[in-house]
Amino acid sequence: MADSIEEIKKKKKLYLFIGLFLFFFTGITVAVATVEWLDFGGHGFDGVDATIGLIIAGFKASLVMFIFMHLNHEKPWVYFLYGLGLVMAFFCMWLIGWSKSDPIQYGNSEKADGFYNPEKPTTNVHGHDD
Amino acid sequence: MEIPFIVNARKDTGLFNSKVGIWLFLASEVTLFGGLFSGYLFLRLYADYPWPERALPVLPGLINTFILIGSSVTVVFAWAALKMREWAKFQIYMGITLVCAFLFLGLKAVEYNAKLHHQAVRLTGDGSVQDFGYLEGHVHYAKLVDDKLVEVTKEEKKENDKKDDPEHIFAANKIIFKATELSFVLKRPAHEAYVKEILEQAGEDHTIILVDDYRVLDVDELHEGQKSRVELLKGERALVIKGGEALSIEILDDMEDAFLDARAHDKDIRTEFSRASWRWVRDEKGIKDIGNLVITKDYWKERMAEDAAKIAPLMLIDSGIKSAPGSVTFKIDPPLTLVMDPSDIPKITEDPTLGDTIRFRDDTTVKGKLLPSPMLMGIDAIDFRHTAMRAEIEGIDPLDAIKESWILTHTDSHGGNDLKKAWDCHMAWLKIETKRLLDKSDKKGRKKGDELVPTENDKYRINWDQMVAYEKLKYDPEAVVAAIEDKTLYHTSLFDLSGFAGANHTAHHFPHVEIPREKVGFTSTFTPKWNTYYAIYFTITGLHGLHVIGGIVVLGYYMFFGRKMYDSNPEWLANRVEIGGLFWHFVDLVWIFLFPILYLM
Repeated sequence: MADSIEEIKKKKKLYLFIGLFLFFFTGITVAVATVEWLDFGGHGFDGVDATIGLIIAGFKASLVMFIFMHLNHEKPWVYFLYGLGLVMAFFCMWLIGWSKSDPIQYGNSEKADGFYNPEKPTTNVHGHDD
Repeated sequence: MEIPFIVNARKDTGLFNSKVGIWLFLASEVTLFGGLFSGYLFLRLYADYPWPERALPVLPGLINTFILIGSSVTVVFAWAALKMREWAKFQIYMGITLVCAFLFLGLKAVEYNAKLHHQAVRLTGDGSVQDFGYLEGHVHYAKLVDDKLVEVTKEEKKENDKKDDPEHIFAANKIIFKATELSFVLKRPAHEAYVKEILEQAGEDHTIILVDDYRVLDVDELHEGQKSRVELLKGERALVIKGGEALSIEILDDMEDAFLDARAHDKDIRTEFSRASWRWVRDEKGIKDIGNLVITKDYWKERMAEDAAKIAPLMLIDSGIKSAPGSVTFKIDPPLTLVMDPSDIPKITEDPTLGDTIRFRDDTTVKGKLLPSPMLMGIDAIDFRHTAMRAEIEGIDPLDAIKESWILTHTDSHGGNDLKKAWDCHMAWLKIETKRLLDKSDKKGRKKGDELVPTENDKYRINWDQMVAYEKLKYDPEAVVAAIEDKTLYHTSLFDLSGFAGANHTAHHFPHVEIPREKVGFTSTFTPKWNTYYAIYFTITGLHGLHVIGGIVVLGYYMFFGRKMYDSNPEWLANRVEIGGLFWHFVDLVWIFLFPILYLM
C-alpha cells in the first residue's frame, strides 16, 4: 500500500480515475438494460442481459476491492479470509441450485404445472403417487 | 496503558490490530449478504407468480449508485489527506462523504415512501383464470353521505383537515357495515383498541348498552350452601354489571376479570380432583406405572363419573343457569354505520335471512348489514401476466381469457370503462410493436423461431408510463396508431422527473375504478406483504441502509471528534479512517450488485 507522500499523491489520481471508470460502467450497465440497440440476446430482459449485468457488476466490485480497499497490497491470509466469505456465499447459492434437483414435484396434472395444490397428492419423478 | 499495534503491524499477522478486526468482520458480512442474495435467487427461481421484472424506477437507484461511488472516492481521499497531514482537506473530503451518505438515505426514503403509498390489488372471483388480474394505483379519498361512499378530492381532504371539526374522510379501502349488535368474547381480554374505535365512531348520537345483566356465582355464597344456584345467581352478590350499562373499556374489563377469575377457580377445582383420582389409582389400585391404559378401565370411568357429580355443584361457570357466560352482547341504537379497515376484519358472513356478520381480529362479532364497500382507485398499471400464465396452463388463449376478465368487462358507475379503453390502446400498440420486432428480426437475418418477440411485460402489462401516454391520447386506439407512426407516442424516458420514484398521481389523471369488495382478493401497498419480491427488496435494501447509517456514525465520529487523536498521533487516526473507509467501500460494493439485480433485472 502507498505510504510515502509521493506515492499517495500518485495514488490519488488513480482513485479519481477508478471513480470515473466506475461511473462509466454504471452508465453502461443501465444502457445495456434500457437502450434498445444495446439490448443483447432477445428483446427485453433475458439471461444474456442478466449475465452482462452481473459481469459488469463483478468487474466494478473487483475495482473497489483491489484499488479502494487496497486488497492488491494485503497479506495472503486476508485473501484467504475474504475468499472464505465468498465461498460461503457461493455455497448458499449452490444450495439453491441443488434444491432444484429435488425429485418431488408439485401437482399431478398431466401438464405438471408445478403449482402447489393441497388438494392434489404430490408425485415423484416417475409419476407415481406418493 | 498504551494500546499495542494501533499504528505498527504485528509481526505474526503483518497488520495493525484493527485491520485484522475489520477484515474478519467484512468476511462475515460477505457471507451475510451472500446468504441474502441466495434468498433472492431462491425466491425468484421458485416464484409461482410473474416476477416484477424491472419494477423499480431506475433513476433513483442510478443516482444512488453514483452517490455511493462518489463517496467511495472521497473517503479514500480523506484517508490520503490524513496520511499527508492535511487536516482541513480531511474534513472537506469526509464532509462530502457524509453529505453523500445522507443524500443516499434521503433518496431511499423517497423511494420507500412511494412504495408505501402505492396500492396493489389482486382480483378474485370464482377461481377461473379470468380472475387472476392485478391492478396498481393510488387509493382515493371518500366520505359517507347517507351511508353511501362519496369520493373526495385531495384538495377537499386538505381543506377538511384544516377545519376545527373535520368530517370523517378516509382512504376508500374500508368495510362499511351498519351495526346493530356487538358481542365481545371475554376469554380474549384485548378489546381496548376496537372499543375505542367503535365509541369514537358512535359519538353521542348512538347508545351502545349491555343487553343482559352479567352475573357470576359468588364463591363464598356458593360454599355456604344456603340457597340454590338459581337463587344465588339472582342475588345482589352475583351481579357484576347490570344490563343497560353503556359500553366502556372499564365495564368490559370488570366482566373479563370476573369471567377469568371464575375460569381459574373452576380449573383449580378440576385439577385438585384430577390429582386425587390419580393418587387413588396409584395408592389404592397399586398401579405404579400409570399409563393411558388406566383410562380404559371400568373403575376409572366410574371414578370419573363420581368426580363429575362432585365437581358440578362447585363450578362458577354454569351455562345452564348462565353464570359467567363467555361472551357479552351490546345493542346499538340507532344502528351505527361502522367504517373499518379490511385488515381488522378476517371474516365477513353475508346471510339475507339472519343478517350479516363481521368478525374482528379479537373475535368480537358485529351483527347488522354489510353496505357496499368498494375500493376507489386511480389505476396506473394493469397487469394480466398472471392471467396469461394461468391461461397457458389451462390451454386457453391468454388474450381470450383477458378479454373476459372483470377488469375489461365491468361497467363503472359513470357507465364506461377507462381500463378497457386503455387496454384497447395497448393492443393497438402491441400489434405495431410485434410487427416492428419481426421486421427487425428479418433485417438482422434471425432464423425462424429465433425472432425478436414482445416480452410478457410488453404483451400483458400496461405500465404507468404507457398509461400516461394513452391518457394523453384520450384512450383512442386510432390516435395511438397515428402517434406511433408520427413517432410522437410519449413514453417516459429514464430522466423524466414527473415519475421519479413511481407513478405521479398529482401530475396525471389515471383511470378511475370502483372495485366491488367481493372482487378484492388481496390488497396491499408495495410492502413485504404484497409479494416475495418486495419482501426481499425491503430486507436487503433495509439492511444495506442500516449499514449506511452505521457508516455515518463511524465516519462522522472521526470527522467531528478526531482532532484530539490527530494531534496526539495522526497515524493512529489515519489507520482508524482506513478501517472506517474499508467498511464504507464494502457498503458501496454491496450496492454495486444490488442496483442491477433489483432495478434492472
